[in-house]
Amino acid sequence: MPRKSFLSLRRYAPQTAAVFLLAVSVSLPVAHAAEPAPPLLDAMSAELERAFALLGHPVAKSDAGKQQPPYFLSYTVHDAQTVAISAQYGAVTSNSGSHVRSADVQVRVGSAQLDNTHGDHRATAVHTVRLPLGDNREAFQRMLWVATNAGYGAALDNFLRVKTEAEVRAKEEDTSADFSQEKPQTHVEKPAAPLQMDRVAWEKRVVALSRVLREYPDVYASQAMLGVQNVTTYFASSEGPRIVTPNRSANLVVLAVTRADDGMDLFQVRTFQAETVDGLPAQAEMEQSVRQMAAQLVALKKAPVTEPFDGPAILSGRAAAVFFHEVLGHRLEGQRQRGDREGQTFTKELGKLVLPEFISVADDPTQTTFGNVALNGHYSFDSEGQPAQRVQLIDKGVLKTFLMSRMPIASFANSNGHGRAQAGHMPNGRQGNLLVTSTKTVPEAELRTQLIEEAKRQGKLYGLYFEDISSGFTLTQRALPQAFQVIPLVVKRVYVDGRPDELVRGVNIVGTPLAAMKKILVTGDKQELFNGICGAESGQVPVSAVAPALLLSELETQRQPQGSARPPILPIPQPTATEGTKDQGNVAAQPQSKQEAK
Amino acid sequence: MNKVAWLLCVAVSVSAAGVAAGEKPAPTRADALKDPVLKAMLTELDRNVSQLQLPGSQKPYFIQYRIEDVEEYSARAEFGAEEGAGHAHHRVAVVTVRVGDRKSDSSGGAADGTVEQACLSEDEIALRSVLWAASDQAYKMALAVYAQKQAALKQVQTPPQADDFSEEKPLIALSARGKLDVGSVPWPERMMHASGLYRAAEPVKLAGGVVESSHAEFHARALTTWLVNSEGTVVRKGANTFEEEIAVSTQADDGMRLARSYTSAGTALSDLDAQDVFENHVASLLGSLGDLRSALLVEEEYHGPVLLSGDASADTLRTLLGGVTAMRPRMGTEARTMGAFASSYHARVLPESLEVVDDPSLKSYSGKGLVGAYDVDDEGVPAETVKLVEGGRLQSYLIGREPVRDFPRSNGHGRAAMMSAPHPGLSVLKVTARDGMTDEALKQRLLEMAKDRGLDHVYCVETLGGVRSPRLLYRVGADGKRTLVRGAVLADLDQRALRSSVEAAGKDLWVANYVEDVPITVLAPALLMDDVTVKRANDKNAKLPFYPAPK
Repeated sequence: MPRKSFLSLRRYAPQTAAVFLLAVSVSLPVAHAAEPAPPLLDAMSAELERAFALLGHPVAKSDAGKQQPPYFLSYTVHDAQTVAISAQYGAVTSNSGSHVRSADVQVRVGSAQLDNTHGDHRATAVHTVRLPLGDNREAFQRMLWVATNAGYGAALDNFLRVKTEAEVRAKEEDTSADFSQEKPQTHVEKPAAPLQMDRVAWEKRVVALSRVLREYPDVYASQAMLGVQNVTTYFASSEGPRIVTPNRSANLVVLAVTRADDGMDLFQVRTFQAETVDGLPAQAEMEQSVRQMAAQLVALKKAPVTEPFDGPAILSGRAAAVFFHEVLGHRLEGQRQRGDREGQTFTKELGKLVLPEFISVADDPTQTTFGNVALNGHYSFDSEGQPAQRVQLIDKGVLKTFLMSRMPIASFANSNGHGRAQAGHMPNGRQGNLLVTSTKTVPEAELRTQLIEEAKRQGKLYGLYFEDISSGFTLTQRALPQAFQVIPLVVKRVYVDGRPDELVRGVNIVGTPLAAMKKILVTGDKQELFNGICGAESGQVPVSAVAPALLLSELETQRQPQGSARPPILPIPQPTATEGTKDQGNVAAQPQSKQEAK
Repeated sequence: MNKVAWLLCVAVSVSAAGVAAGEKPAPTRADALKDPVLKAMLTELDRNVSQLQLPGSQKPYFIQYRIEDVEEYSARAEFGAEEGAGHAHHRVAVVTVRVGDRKSDSSGGAADGTVEQACLSEDEIALRSVLWAASDQAYKMALAVYAQKQAALKQVQTPPQADDFSEEKPLIALSARGKLDVGSVPWPERMMHASGLYRAAEPVKLAGGVVESSHAEFHARALTTWLVNSEGTVVRKGANTFEEEIAVSTQADDGMRLARSYTSAGTALSDLDAQDVFENHVASLLGSLGDLRSALLVEEEYHGPVLLSGDASADTLRTLLGGVTAMRPRMGTEARTMGAFASSYHARVLPESLEVVDDPSLKSYSGKGLVGAYDVDDEGVPAETVKLVEGGRLQSYLIGREPVRDFPRSNGHGRAAMMSAPHPGLSVLKVTARDGMTDEALKQRLLEMAKDRGLDHVYCVETLGGVRSPRLLYRVGADGKRTLVRGAVLADLDQRALRSSVEAAGKDLWVANYVEDVPITVLAPALLMDDVTVKRANDKNAKLPFYPAPK
């Protein structure tokens, strides 16, 4: 009997933190021409071939012979070893490790032109089961057989629905096929090594980071979380490809929350990432960064609330990277150009100028690093077994192509290696490493001067400087307004009269995407990186975005919706004088504080 | 409550173990303060009791902190291969704040508890910070709910039938923490072996069928609960449970899903089956899958005598008697409580020969640990043995600290699942029959009933899957010959049947340990029912596998 997990605790968290951009890293591609096929891949291949040969053909004592055979079958196995350590209020709340294997079975019935994934049925084509660990081939095959049967049954059912719907609906605007023809690939790397790390030592480090926040009584809630993963992905399909790719990542996130006296929830996040825990920054460096974050949060709590504003603004490179990811990247996903529920903002804009001429945008999952930092969005093969490709999305302001999975659209019939999915999801066109470049640049200091000039020209008292922003969400569906939202974390007013910059809180960027994109006047001369995890229909995938700082002639902001709850009534507990400098675990021996009854 | 009152309250304390009364002095608050978790809880409780108040609003009249620490180990295997094994350790704090007074307070809705994840170490500041955050949230919620509730009470003519919160004596009870010890057994290997037994059985026992799932799981859990409240109650208690389970399934040729499972459970490792005994059960489950595949479908409909084995009876009684709890009725009504027995107080609910008690103090039976037992409930009230049914009449309800009419006090049955508010519930439910019969005598009686009524067959339920879905159901001919049938569902097996259709009961009690969020034990005799319906389940038959299983 499945047991209920009690991990999903509801936490004190800011309402706005719908999606955290977390960090994940990277496996460097290694040529492994002679790598022997792992037993798991062998078992997958054997069962896949058996299933593909037998499905739809008569079986004794059943009527399966009447069924239509699948035209495509794929198995994707994710073997994930993970360690998760978290702490709050300066003490550990969990330290756990796991090793789980799951298999996604994708079955397609019908034809590449029209199959069971058509329209709203796309997500139904994936059937997921847990697989055993170890090398027990018999058990692998038995489980894959169970999942394939279930997946095939669902595919037959959905194909029937697709055909029925096709008969009753008007002709679709985009009559592209449901599945593209691609060349099968073979690429077998060595599976990821067992995850080995000193969990006790890392627990101490995570606790120490959390303990830094005890120095700030205004930080009402906090989390320090270390997530380490060694993942190997195995892919095989009836078209013949066999792919094994390892991936390792370590990310450490520290979140701090407070509430202003007027009830506005405020938060700040710091993330550190590397390929393995050994690559994370030194403890002192991380603690220093957490102190800065906490100090900034405390300053924000006291900062004045923003006024609605429509005027010039600078987005720092990091902020611009998030901005491009949300505003542009999501709307260039291939599947968003097709289907009557999609906004199709850019569908008819191919070959047209959509950005200023000095801006170009590419997505290049093959790039592994930016400077000396690993890029989250790197991969060598996508979730449909297609090789990653650099794609020039926008060239000198002109829209050239979209991020394509194997789902064709009217303008493009093939994948460009961007079909991505989290385990258990159907792949879609997604971003990898979004790279924004500019040919009209000025040094950062000059950018600030130009901001002030532009504000003066528009008769404004100040322009806005967005130093840091967190992820937002993008509404691309037609039923929802065509607006984007990102979550500015640190915003300053840059006054035209030379006053010092002033931190403000509660700033929300609003507006329509296309309009905002065209207001870029000039960019900074150096690029900055945002590593994150991005969530959409095909699940959460690691991404990166790199962009220079932007000067926009016009950016509209409004005050963020705020809670009305009061800050805590009593102050957060503080160590008494006698125990303030002691380490944890000694409380029993301490004299009682004055508050205790004797 | 101020500090002085608080001290006055700490008057009564009982020994934790109960059995040790008279040997050890009763624990005191000073003893409690030696436990770092309790010290942190009491320190923060004192601070909140004396200071938590929004200007212009009323103070809480009751605050309670409950921290639960769960350490678990599990090992899973499927089709003879390991799926994973590992430890997990979590702690959560559940904070309850009540404003108003005992007669009418903020309880009964969203204000019944704020849950926060707590730290695993004994760091006082971190523990207190969690309780601080949860108290703040719970208090603000209680104020809001109290205002809404007072407004709602003005909308109804009939006043509440009882107070909102009972008065109980403060208790100090400190017993041992839960302890996770899975012994030296290599559980992953043992689960792999058990789940791999299908291999040998499939060709010989499955009657041409294929095993579609074979899942084995071992699970051990050590729970420690700390509870303190503003009335002066301080409790520490531990509970351990162990469970080993196998579940197998196949399909009949008509597509019907056929599933069997077996669980060995208890409060100590020694309560579990030895490996050979467990695996004999696995073999017998696999054999029964083959038997079920070959079994006939049950007839359209049958009304008449049915013998429920002790196993089937335990499941049935748990379901049918689970509602003997006192729950606050809907506002504005004159009801005493809710559920199937809401209006049954002092009425006949069982035959005169059956007695029912719920006895949390019964820790073992026939040498086996009972998972439903405890000394102190999850509201800090000592467990009481409750005579629920005597002479066939309902004499009492299981109740926590929410009174109902005629029941102003808790009888120590406030039970809480992890992260949840407590509710009254079963602990160790023991059903006994005066003049209970042996199994043989019951079978004989069943045949006599068939003969008396001119029936050519009757039914005997060996095990149940769902509440009314037999997994092993036998048609018993007039000559006593048993034939396995499948695809049946039971009907008319309800509270009315318990009252008027129990013909006889067994003398031996079946021990059913239900290791769930709130562990429960049922000790039940076999029941011979006079009139139960057996009919076709008519569940959807799934497609057979579209292609043959791998060899």
